[in-house]
Amino acid sequence: MTIEQQKGALTLGSEGRVLPSGEREFMMDVSTSDLEVNMGPQHPATHGVMRILLRTDGELVTGAQPHLGYLHRCAEKIGENVEWLQYLPYTDRYDYLAAMNNNLGYSLAVEALMPGLEIPRRATLIRTICAEINRIASHLIAFGTYGLDIGAFTPFFYAFREREWIQALFEKICGARLTYSYIRIGGVFNDAPPGWLQEVGHFCDVFEQKWQEYYDLLVVNHVFVKRTADIGVIPEEMALDFGLTGPMLRGSGVDFDLRRDMPYMVYKEISDAGALKVPIGRGEMGTLGDCWDRLFVRVQEMKESLAVIRWCLDSIEPGPVLGDVPKVIKVPPGEAYVGIENPRGELGHYVSSDGGKVATRCRVRGPSFTNLAVLEDMMPGTLLADSVAIIGSTDIVVGETDR
Amino acid sequence: MDFQAIHDRLRAIEAPGLQAADEPREPNKEKKDPGRSGNPFVTVDPARIVEFLTVCRDDSKLDFRILIDLTATDPKADGEELSVLFELLSIRKKHRLSIKASIPKSDASIQSATAVYRAAQWHERECGEMYGITFVGHPDPRNILLPDDWVGYPLRKDYEFPTEYNGISCE
Repeated sequence: MTIEQQKGALTLGSEGRVLPSGEREFMMDVSTSDLEVNMGPQHPATHGVMRILLRTDGELVTGAQPHLGYLHRCAEKIGENVEWLQYLPYTDRYDYLAAMNNNLGYSLAVEALMPGLEIPRRATLIRTICAEINRIASHLIAFGTYGLDIGAFTPFFYAFREREWIQALFEKICGARLTYSYIRIGGVFNDAPPGWLQEVGHFCDVFEQKWQEYYDLLVVNHVFVKRTADIGVIPEEMALDFGLTGPMLRGSGVDFDLRRDMPYMVYKEISDAGALKVPIGRGEMGTLGDCWDRLFVRVQEMKESLAVIRWCLDSIEPGPVLGDVPKVIKVPPGEAYVGIENPRGELGHYVSSDGGKVATRCRVRGPSFTNLAVLEDMMPGTLLADSVAIIGSTDIVVGETDR
Repeated sequence: MDFQAIHDRLRAIEAPGLQAADEPREPNKEKKDPGRSGNPFVTVDPARIVEFLTVCRDDSKLDFRILIDLTATDPKADGEELSVLFELLSIRKKHRLSIKASIPKSDASIQSATAVYRAAQWHERECGEMYGITFVGHPDPRNILLPDDWVGYPLRKDYEFPTEYNGISCE
C-alpha cells in the first residue's frame, strides 16, 4: 500500500480502515502535519546506539532514515595494522552476541588462504558445537528482547535464564562469557574440559523442553500475534534486491541457508544425515514476510540447532584440536572471500595477504548492516506504534552495523 | 556451477566489459612466482560495470540475484590504482562470483550499482567515505559511518592519522 492510499484509508472517517482480519478500524478526522521524531541514539528499541530519524504525519510514518556510526571502531583499519592472530579478539566485538561465529568466520577466511593447513576433525566438531550453541544464545536474545520491545516482560527473563547456562558452558571451555576468542586459526584454543560435552548434551535435553514453553508463551500468544502479524512485510523480491540474508531472508519464504546449500566445515555430512533442517516463513499468522514470520524462523532455528549439536556430540572422538600453526602466522599471498551463516545472516570476511604477517585488507561484511538498510523502504506507510515492532524484528546488533 | 563454468558462460554470452579471470596458482620457485591462494575472480572494465552486473543478474543460467558485498581495496600505498570488489551470490544456482574493477587513484570514480542492486546503496556510501571513491549516480551519497566533517579517506594506505578532531587532541 502506498502512503497516499494508506493515508486515504486512515482518514476515511465513518467507513474506517479494513484490517486484514476483516474488522474495521475507525479513526477520527484530525488534521495532521509533518513532524520529525528522533528515535535514539539512546532508545531501548534500537538495541544499542543508533538513531532513526522518523518522519511522521499524525500516526503514520512517512519516512525513516537510520543514522549509524555511533559505535564505529575502525575494525577494518585495525585489521590492516595488527598481525593475523592479534586481530581475532576484534572479531568478538562486532556481533558481540555471536562472538563464536565471528571467530569462526574470520578463522575460515584466513584458513582459505593457507591451503597446506589441516584442521583436526575434533576441532571442527567442537567449532560446530560452539557455533550452534552460540546461535541458540543469540536467538534467545532476539526472542527475549523482541518480546520486551513489544511489552511482554516475562519471556525476556526466561530467555536470559537459558542464556546464562550457555555462557557458563562457554566460560568452562574458554574462560570468557561474551568475547571468547576461542576458535583460532588452525583449530580451537584448547580441548573441551572433562565432562563438558556431556553437559552440552544435558543442556540440549533440558532446552528442548524449555523451547516448547517459549513457543507457547510468546510465539503463538494472541496479543503477540496481533502486534506482529501483517506488519513490516518484506516481499521476496525486495529481500533479494536488498541482499538480505539469514532469518530476514528466510522469513520472506526464501529457502536458503549457507550451512545446507553451500556447506562449509562438516555441515555437508550433517545435512546428508538429515540433522539439519532449515525453517522458513510460511505466512501462517498473516502475510508472508511479516514480523511474526521472522521471529518464527529464529525460534524454530533454535530447535533445529539442537539436532546439529547432538549429531556432533555423537560423532566426536578424542584427538588433537589445533593444527600445525606457528606462533607468528605468515599467510601466503592471495585473497579470499568467505561467508558463513551467522545467527543474523551471512557474515563475510574478505581478506587479502601479500605474504607477510599483516593483512593488506580485512573487510567485514556484517549481516546487520545490510539487513538494516531495508528499513528505509519498509517503514513508510506503517503506523508509528508499529515502528518498534518492525525495528525489533530486524534483530540488529549495532556493534556489527558500525564495526 | 563452479568458477570455470561461470567464466565459460560469461564468455559465451559475451558479457560486456569482461577482461580476464584470475585463479589461484601454485608457487613456482624457478619463475620466482610466490603463487596465489584463495578464491578465483574475474576482472571487469570499470566503465562497463553496470552493464556487466545487469547481465549477471538477468542471465537465467547465472542468476546472480543477490549482491552480497561491495567494497574496495588499496593494494599499495605508492600504487596508482584502487580496486572495487563485488561479491555476487545466486541462491537458486548456489554459486558465487567475485568481481574486481580497477580504477585510477587520480580519478577515483565508477558508476553506481544501485540501479541494479539496491543492496549497493549503503555499501557504496561506506566505500565512498573510506576510499574517496565517487559513485556516479548514487541517490544519497552522504557519509554513513564517519562524521560528515571527517577529513581524508581512512582506509587508503597513505592515510595520515589526524592529530585532533574539532579541537579534541588525539595524540
